[in-house]
Amino acid sequence: MRGFLDYVSGDSVPHRLNPMTKLALAFVLCAACFMTKDHMLVGGVIVCNLCLAAMAGVFDRSARVFLSLLKLAFILFVMQVFFVRQGNVLLTLPKGFYITDEGISFSLLFAMRMIAAAMPLTLMLSITRMSDLSNALVKFLHIPYKYTFVLTTAIRFIPLFSDEMIGIMEAQTARGVEFDTRSFIKKVRLLLPLCVPLLISSVRRIETGAISAELRGFNLRTRDSGYKTYGFGAIDAAAFVFCALLIYAALTV
Amino acid sequence: MISIKNLEFRYGDSEDPALRDITLDVESGDFLGIIGPSGAGKSTLTYAMSGVIPHHYKGDFYGSVEIGGLDTVQSSPEAIARHVGSVFQDVEGQLLASVVEDEILFGLENFGIPREEIEERIEYALSSSGISDLRCRTIASLSGGQKQKVAIASITALRPEVIVLDEPTGELDPQSSRRVFETLRELNHTYGVTVVIVEQKIMMLCEFARRMAVMEAGRIILEGPVREVLSHGERLEEAGVNIPRVAALSRRLREAGLYRGNTPIDLAEAETMMREVAADAAF
Ligand SMILES: Nc1ncnc2c1ncn2[C@@H]1O[C@H](COP(=O)(O)OP(=O)(O)OP(=O)(O)O)[C@@H](O)[C@H]1O
Ligand SMILES: [Mg+2]
Repeated sequence: MRGFLDYVSGDSVPHRLNPMTKLALAFVLCAACFMTKDHMLVGGVIVCNLCLAAMAGVFDRSARVFLSLLKLAFILFVMQVFFVRQGNVLLTLPKGFYITDEGISFSLLFAMRMIAAAMPLTLMLSITRMSDLSNALVKFLHIPYKYTFVLTTAIRFIPLFSDEMIGIMEAQTARGVEFDTRSFIKKVRLLLPLCVPLLISSVRRIETGAISAELRGFNLRTRDSGYKTYGFGAIDAAAFVFCALLIYAALTV
Repeated sequence: MISIKNLEFRYGDSEDPALRDITLDVESGDFLGIIGPSGAGKSTLTYAMSGVIPHHYKGDFYGSVEIGGLDTVQSSPEAIARHVGSVFQDVEGQLLASVVEDEILFGLENFGIPREEIEERIEYALSSSGISDLRCRTIASLSGGQKQKVAIASITALRPEVIVLDEPTGELDPQSSRRVFETLRELNHTYGVTVVIVEQKIMMLCEFARRMAVMEAGRIILEGPVREVLSHGERLEEAGVNIPRVAALSRRLREAGLYRGNTPIDLAEAETMMREVAADAAF
């Protein structure tokens, strides 16, 4: 899962969409899953995510995200399926557990929604430059730059921190600490002491970032500072039509 | 260009001052190297030059620091930044964008550089750091040396008169370090940018810097032209600074009364020295 939030450069159609369109598209893809109760449509959204990823040249990454979500979704499914008591009993288990058709249907929908709703976000971040995202939020939604900057910088720093954690773990492994233990509790106990050095180095890093931003005139920035302009073109229009159709489908199916 | 007088600084949360009685002048167009053991106050001194102290880190500040005539205590960090650009010890931490071009654009946008000038500035910054081909690359995909050059380019785009760098080659291999230094020399020679650099690799300073300052426990213990500073071999070793082998050799020869010339700073000069010694010995 390393680097799954990093920007991947490219010049594909999804890349060339206006940042606001990408954001709207990601939002609609998520929202549609929660508006509909139709498994096919949610499945369609997942396929749509993968198609967009393929168009943008980040299919590998999306597929990896999909597979990891699938594992999580499976756990969610199993946890849910025993708790739905309505519907026709399909299978009776000892100790009063049973599985119903409605239970399966509901849990499946729940798990699929989770997958479908998490994918657009990583896709959107993969194909949008952080500066474009924050500039567009400032320009079109009039959110103060300070907040959008915090948001985009936080996203940018995640991989740095995970790299740092891996670095610290490698250093500890070299000293004979065995992290690849099967016991979850043992692992947490080994990792916990590492949080302090991680926290210290992370705070330093953020401090450097803040100073560097300040010395490059961060406080002078206004809404009109952005150099690039973000226009809407035919592909954006097409994307919005698609969004409208998707919402319509989600509400009616 | 930079004039520091009797500067003393103590971080708010510590007992001992990090800088004591620092007096230092950096002329316009100079190339100054700062060297010294860990904890000597090198980074703190660079902070003093960029106004990070006393504006970002609070503490007790005595004495004065003037940058191009501006008193750093009375000026805003942004006003100081128009004269001095800073590259920090932690490269990753200071890069804020996802693409090289955006990183350079960040400062230009903030300082309100006119639109028609921006393209030219980006090209200048990229080409003076020798990374024109990296313009559209994502920063995550770059090597350490390339990231360092991006950090430098994001500063040079703002055309500061002085650029202050804190151990920019700390995590680089010798070859990439050399390339960073070559970039700095280019900026210094061709564009007249004053360079102040904290650096542990003394051979790099010998080759590229004009002047050198040695720090120990918050003080500058030696300062002057590189060759002159190197001739104080004993004092340097006492402070924990490794001097180049050729300089150490010349010190031994001098102590033995065999040599009285200049301190050599590279192999060619060492050869000249040895020939002289050999010629004298022949008599
Ligand atoms: N933000 C801070 N707050 C409090 N004390 C600090 C801070 N930064 C540095 N110091 C202290 O000031 C002294 C000088 O530190 P400084 O970072 O300037 O040394 P340095 O010469 O750059 O060392 P290094 O080679 O390790 O980078 C040290 O004793 C350090 O503990
Ligand atoms: Mg330092």
